[in-house]
Amino acid sequence: MNKPEFVYTTYIETSVEKLWQALTDGDFTERYWFGHRCASDWKVGSEYRFSKQGHPTIQGKVLVVDPPKRLAYSWDSCSPEAQRERTSRVTFDLEPRGKVIKLTVTHDELDERGVTLRNISGGWPMVLASLKSLLETGRVLDIDPPPVAKETACA
Amino acid sequence: MPRPEFIYVTYIETTPEKLWEALTSSDFTKRYWWDTRVVSDWKVGSPFSLVLNGRTTDVGEVLEAERPRRLSYTFRHILNEAARNERPSRVTFVLEPHGKLVKLTLTHEDFAEDSVVIDGISKGWPAIMSSLKSLLESGEALVIPLDALFIDELEEAYRS
Repeated sequence: MNKPEFVYTTYIETSVEKLWQALTDGDFTERYWFGHRCASDWKVGSEYRFSKQGHPTIQGKVLVVDPPKRLAYSWDSCSPEAQRERTSRVTFDLEPRGKVIKLTVTHDELDERGVTLRNISGGWPMVLASLKSLLETGRVLDIDPPPVAKETACA
Repeated sequence: MPRPEFIYVTYIETTPEKLWEALTSSDFTKRYWWDTRVVSDWKVGSPFSLVLNGRTTDVGEVLEAERPRRLSYTFRHILNEAARNERPSRVTFVLEPHGKLVKLTLTHEDFAEDSVVIDGISKGWPAIMSSLKSLLESGEALVIPLDALFIDELEEAYRS
């Protein structure tokens, strides 16, 4: 039986450098990721964290940094309902295809039927659609994202 | 063992009417779908086909056409012999208003056992849907080299 994984591919008219920046720069993520800012020094082994309005939402360790081709980090949701689930992993692969960049997001090492699997399966298409719009048109998508739990299980 | 299916969700700043037009009009599809023309009168039971550079690549039958909410057709790839001999699979588009956007859910399912088609469609749909979103939002489709997708079944079509 395969472990559940979520794979999403999108094509974006941009450069790999801009896309890399969009994935790793908090000012950028805050715009298309519905207010979630990332912070890290993006060195392998370092910690990273996403926060929304100062509240931590996702955190983990940087696993792979190979700019501008591949970025991977472990993923622990700060939502109390996800605390019993194991740490999952997210990998971004950036590949030029002509004048367009193919971006593949692979979220794996997920728990079967867990809340993380459910949340990320709904969340990644929104986040990546908004990222694509921002890079191509300069405007993010006006989406009401799913609410973030007020309580946080992250220290 | 769950049956294989391909599901792709995206959010597009457009209206359901425009998106419906983009999925069903060949003037639109040839702009974002590598010059592919979609041919059908979109009545339930009518034939449907995709024509690329003058060659029919895929055929099927319209199953549902509930403008502008739901479109479904059977799908059989006919360029490649192994694919031609498979029974048809099924493609469904669901268009849902989502605030000022439209949530588009594409489901491609009901594949034959050991389908040779699923690999090609899994590579093709993300590129097609990405280019469609770009066209509707920015007015420009994406230029994605078809041969960079490595879809074996379409090799002949883009070489000829």
